[in-house]
Amino acid sequence: MTPTPPPLHRIDRLGALLGTASIAAVAWLPFVTFKANRIASGTARSLFEVLPFGTALAVAGIVVVVAAAAIGVASPRSRLAAAIVGIAVVALALAAAAADLTPPGNRLVRVSPGVGCWVLLLVQALLATDALARLRPGPGLRVLCLALTGAVLYAAFALGLFDQLSIMREYAVNAGTFAREARQHVLLATGSLGAAVLVGLPLGVLCHKVPRLRAATLQVLNLIQTIPSIALFGILMVPLGALATAAPWARELGVSGIGAAPAVIALFLYALLPVVANATVGLGRVSPAAVDAARGMGLTGRQVLTQIELPLALPVIVTGIRIVLVQNIGLVTVAALIGGGGFGTFVFQGVGQTAIDLVLLGAIPTVVLAFSSAVVLDALVDVMSRAPQ
Amino acid sequence: MIQLESLTKQYGPTTVVDGVTLAIASGSITVIVGTSGSGKSTLLRMINRLIEPSGGRVLIDGHDTSATPVHLLRRKIGYAIQGHGLFPHRTVGENIATVPRLLGWSAARIQARVDELLRIFQLEPAEFAAKFPHQLSGGQQQRVGVARALAAEPAVLLMDEPFGALDPIIRGKAQQDLLDIQRRFGTTVVLVTHDMDEAFHLGDHVAVMSQGRLLQYDPPALLLTRPADPFVSRLTGTADRSLKLLSLTTAGEAAEPGVGEGPSVPAAASLREVLSDLVWSGATAATVMRSDGTPAGRLTLAGILARGRAG
Amino acid sequence: MRRLGLLLRLAAFSLLVAFLVMPQRFAPLFAPFTEYGAPPIYDQGSLLALAAAHLGTVFLAAAASTVVAVSLGILVTRPSGAEFLPLSRTLVGIGQTFPPVAVLAIAVPLVGFGETPTLIALFAYGLLPIFENTISALQTCPSSVIEAARGMGMSSRQRLLGVELPLAMPLILEGIRLSVVINVGTATIGSTVAAKGLGEVIIAGLLSNNTAFILQGGLVTGLMAMLLYDGMAGLEKRLLRAVHVG
Ligand SMILES: Nc1ncnc2c1ncn2[C@@H]1O[C@H](COP(=O)(O)OP(=O)(O)OP(=O)(O)O)[C@@H](O)[C@H]1O
Ligand SMILES: [Mg+2]
Repeated sequence: MTPTPPPLHRIDRLGALLGTASIAAVAWLPFVTFKANRIASGTARSLFEVLPFGTALAVAGIVVVVAAAAIGVASPRSRLAAAIVGIAVVALALAAAAADLTPPGNRLVRVSPGVGCWVLLLVQALLATDALARLRPGPGLRVLCLALTGAVLYAAFALGLFDQLSIMREYAVNAGTFAREARQHVLLATGSLGAAVLVGLPLGVLCHKVPRLRAATLQVLNLIQTIPSIALFGILMVPLGALATAAPWARELGVSGIGAAPAVIALFLYALLPVVANATVGLGRVSPAAVDAARGMGLTGRQVLTQIELPLALPVIVTGIRIVLVQNIGLVTVAALIGGGGFGTFVFQGVGQTAIDLVLLGAIPTVVLAFSSAVVLDALVDVMSRAPQ
Repeated sequence: MIQLESLTKQYGPTTVVDGVTLAIASGSITVIVGTSGSGKSTLLRMINRLIEPSGGRVLIDGHDTSATPVHLLRRKIGYAIQGHGLFPHRTVGENIATVPRLLGWSAARIQARVDELLRIFQLEPAEFAAKFPHQLSGGQQQRVGVARALAAEPAVLLMDEPFGALDPIIRGKAQQDLLDIQRRFGTTVVLVTHDMDEAFHLGDHVAVMSQGRLLQYDPPALLLTRPADPFVSRLTGTADRSLKLLSLTTAGEAAEPGVGEGPSVPAAASLREVLSDLVWSGATAATVMRSDGTPAGRLTLAGILARGRAG
Repeated sequence: MRRLGLLLRLAAFSLLVAFLVMPQRFAPLFAPFTEYGAPPIYDQGSLLALAAAHLGTVFLAAAASTVVAVSLGILVTRPSGAEFLPLSRTLVGIGQTFPPVAVLAIAVPLVGFGETPTLIALFAYGLLPIFENTISALQTCPSSVIEAARGMGMSSRQRLLGVELPLAMPLILEGIRLSVVINVGTATIGSTVAAKGLGEVIIAGLLSNNTAFILQGGLVTGLMAMLLYDGMAGLEKRLLRAVHVG
């Protein structure tokens, strides 16, 4: 049974653009790339070459229906549902294609998504994103959506649905180190964030109370932010290396010129600006009348700060923390260059071996991690600023 | 009793408040007026030491305020400001409970006090205590601001343009509320305003400030009949001063024995209102009625006019 | 205070230029960081050429990002492009959670090693801040001003060129500066995929365990980035003063 296309009320131009792109991708672009082994050069295969005709036709049909919905359906809910169905179907088709192309027991063959598949996933993800943006979900719902997506993906991977895909082959080879690098990545990103909050928050309060300090502090922190990450890592390696050589206690603490120490310090320095700047801005925005009233009623300076100013500045401060966390998760990738570990290890190994799957094995989790933290912290900020201002 | 003795505030070379000495009787309302920048707020804020005086001292019931730690001093003095300064992240109930909590009152006592104050200000506790300030109208926010200032039963209440942001009708209502509450608790109120009518309506005494100096400190009628300085008469205005003077006396206070023909007027009405009534109706005398409906005497046109004369 | 700032900038700039032009003069400074007679100064190419290539890549990409991002920004804020606005905003938000390294790394397999992936990554990532600032500047343009312009009979084209864009200029320029600063950093990482740039010195130092290379590479790149940021901020101020906005 083929679903009847929805009635055309009005042409949605964004939908028309994206829908046409998805139909073109199915018709003309290769769906998967097939390689006999990891280093062989790949051959492109279209959807109809890799799946049985009936299945391929069904997949193509569903893509067309999703495109039609994007063009002619106005309700964001229906558009979202259509896009989700489209993504699921393309993902399943990809898994099926990989399974079909891999002879049983063969662990050398590499099947990876082709340009057409990427375009389809991207376009339908854009449609879903657009529909979601038009629905304006509240913070709770957004986090719920994220959790659901995570759960579905986890289940799909746990069931081994994508095991025949080359990126999962790459994962299978690196499964042991993957967990370790993931932990290291999170640790580096959050550890430096924690340190930056511990130092940056008091510094922000100080900058708020002493206006003369503010401009100079922010200028210095701004300048630090402009230093490219590799450069800062490199600059810090020298004194830390010297410290490790000179002081045995420092070496025992794990300080050395390469590895985590320069990475953490550099990330900490980068993180200071958003924390301090947002704390200052947030505190500056607190209503002067509320502060005056608080002092007039006999709250001590500390009470005014902890009970009035900081709670009111909290949404802005957390926004700063969100900026830092997302920025840190990205920057930790670079730390792999100086032996800091994290997902960057796979990225740079992959770059060295011209192995795109290995690059993706590092890059995709990084993006997912950064994106999820952004969604969660944005929701948190939303909740906090919805509470009365 | 609040005594200000040669109270002075200087910022660098400029003197913002210049040697102000004045005594405020307990249980009275003193209104500070003056042009913008004349030092009214500074003077008021030196009483609870939000601003430290550069010279002179403040005595409350004979005790020098500089002897008490500031935060403890301020917890005993109510403070309400223009734009109310309510804490946006706390509910109305929590806002009002601020100082009682600081003072360590029991939860039950705080609860009872919050409810009492909300009722006095005609805000039903069940409905309003849990609301946040942004959910209230401007007039309601302002009432909560005053309620919060009164929460710990302070003997002294400082108010800086508390009704400045309200529309005329709500403002009149807020002024009446303040008078009722002041009578009920016997609070000593010091209030800053730009509005001369408000000053005349509320003040037992009015202090006129100009360029940091206290020009005159007298009951409102004396400001009109015996201005200490040309600036004072400019400030109070000369065009309608006789009417202003009439507005300071109530019909009940001015009533003569006897029964008048003409319209009946309430004893609480001001002579200004009675005069207007007489002009409107073309009568020459009115009967003054107490609130319980018994006659209190009569007022004649001539009698009223005599009271509006200078001296 | 101002004079001190000027002096500092001048000194930093002269130091950078001096080092780039005659790095061998600085050899004694870096000698203590080398071991086993390794060269103290980068010797696999001219530092000046590397710096020029670095800046060239950055500005080429930034120019392309500016043209595309500003045009797109104008497009989606016109009534006819309104359908694209919500998605644009969301995309900018999501795009900025992508680490620059990931963008760079993903570009390599698509186009191979060398200059091109770096240029693509710089271009793509550089779009975001400019696009974001253009959109929010054009959207927050006070409606009273636009109403007045309309009331005076300006066409929508005249309104855009004569009123909206000049008012949006400060934010757009800030976006460009942000984009350039991010680009300088990403271009440094570009050296891992064989793009010409100052990152090469640091990478060479890491590969050959030559601390002197790492240090001079880091210092030169850091100094250049800071001067660039500072210089652009100054230029921005002057430009805005010249057109009487901001
Ligand atoms: N921190 C300060 N430093 C320097 N001058 C100040 C300071 N605070 C107030 N002033 C000056 O003191 C003078 C009196 O200020 P104040 O706030 O007491 O005036 P005001 O009578 O309350 O005026 P308004 O009616 O406008 O509220 C003003 O000229 C003001 O500029
Ligand atoms: Mg004032």
